[in-house]
Amino acid sequence: MKIFRNIAVAFCLLACSTVVAFAAPKTIKVATDATWPPMEMVDTAKKIVGYDIDFLNAVAKEAGIAVEFKNTAWDGIFAGLDSGQYDAIISSVTITDERKAKYDFTEPYTSIGQILIVPKADMSSRKIADLKGKKIGAQIGTTGAFEVKKVAGVELKTYDEIGLAFEDMAAGRVSGVVCDEPVAAHFALKKQEYKDKFKIVGASFTKEAYGIVVKKGNKELLDILNRGIKAVKAKKLDARIHSKWVK
Amino acid sequence: MQDNSSLQKTIDIGEGAAIPLKSDKGLFTAWRIAFFGAIATCLYLAFFRPDEYMAIFRFIPDGIIVTFKVTVGSIILALIVGLIAGLGRISSNRLINGAASLYVEVIRGIPLLVQLFYIYYALGRFVKIPDMASAIIAMAICYGAYLGEVFRAGIQSIPKGQMEAALSLGMSRFQAMRHVILPQAFKVILPPVGNEFIALLKDSSLVSILAVSDLLRRGREYASETFSYFETYTVIALVYLILTLFFSKLIGIMEERLNEGK
Repeated sequence: MKIFRNIAVAFCLLACSTVVAFAAPKTIKVATDATWPPMEMVDTAKKIVGYDIDFLNAVAKEAGIAVEFKNTAWDGIFAGLDSGQYDAIISSVTITDERKAKYDFTEPYTSIGQILIVPKADMSSRKIADLKGKKIGAQIGTTGAFEVKKVAGVELKTYDEIGLAFEDMAAGRVSGVVCDEPVAAHFALKKQEYKDKFKIVGASFTKEAYGIVVKKGNKELLDILNRGIKAVKAKKLDARIHSKWVK
Repeated sequence: MQDNSSLQKTIDIGEGAAIPLKSDKGLFTAWRIAFFGAIATCLYLAFFRPDEYMAIFRFIPDGIIVTFKVTVGSIILALIVGLIAGLGRISSNRLINGAASLYVEVIRGIPLLVQLFYIYYALGRFVKIPDMASAIIAMAICYGAYLGEVFRAGIQSIPKGQMEAALSLGMSRFQAMRHVILPQAFKVILPPVGNEFIALLKDSSLVSILAVSDLLRRGREYASETFSYFETYTVIALVYLILTLFFSKLIGIMEERLNEGK
């Protein structure tokens, strides 16, 4: 008889813990590669900050959930979602068909484009194709890298972090860098060490939109996030976050 | 202090894959199973699962070449650096000895990954060196310190009487080193140098963080574009395994040849 009692107790405990879990606001774990200023970065106080962070916090507040951010290297960020180390990714992820085939995206929350940055001394290059026979840097697995790869005759060099690509351009090892417009502006226009060395050339040449990524089929979380995004947009909170980080 | 130098005929440093010698039956069999098993697995994946794997095999060959170039370039440069460091470590000149010891101590005290970052980006600040050359220099500076210790131990394993005899025949210290000590020391040094070569081949995967398009980098590029992480890293691991096993066998054969000549 004792064993039945034990099982009954175990069931009670399980039931109680489930009730408790439902009562507390749901916390989701979200991965971000905080090397992509001003969208996501680590500040001097070792805190993850940026546009995406403020945006998701606003979304979570509207949707009634709590968020815990996890700083994750970009080139394993989707693998971590596959293996369930976190529930979602907000890391300036462009919605592409290839990514949509494997993961689910929320509604787009902001639009950007790819842009080329070259050293100030380069007077002739306006687009990627102008750098034929030379090396162009981009972060591994980003839409910027895919764009460089599309152009024949240009050698793509991929970096773990976009900051390392800029540092390598400062050292003269690559002749250009391609990345998202806001990031380009951060490195080429705002960053003290690079302001006098680099310039942005031409206009952005792709039309992309960022979305939050969840595991394929995680409709529950997708709905919560989409509801939050809708509310944030309705209240025009995203415009305020945009002007705070991107300007 | 006990003087072991005359007894110390062999140096055992095992960072690489074990080098299979004919005399070691168990390891010899293990080598065969691993080597041919890895090749068979690769062939199976390429021809019976072409949808997932053929594209990977097409994507990585230039990465293998880069890995090979970095490894060979680094070991050659590291041998030169190591010989200088090793001779410096046994030098009676206190300044040279101190400098060589300091080099070995500092380099061996810093993780290779940190050194690679440091040398690559620090070099970039001051001189313009292409990426591959920077990677090779960084690897050579690190492995030069390890090899320096191998050279030192190898030279010290030659009995002191040899040097004394050479000197008493009227040779200079330099001549004695070149014609008497080093030729004997090289035989003792070769197995651990082979080991270091295998270790370096594996550690060369670290240069992928420097945006050098080696085997691992190519794999990561492929995986981050297609999201087939499992398939890609399976192939990358198999290719590294085949490479290290192939070279450890080659070094094993070289060693056996050398022993026959004794």
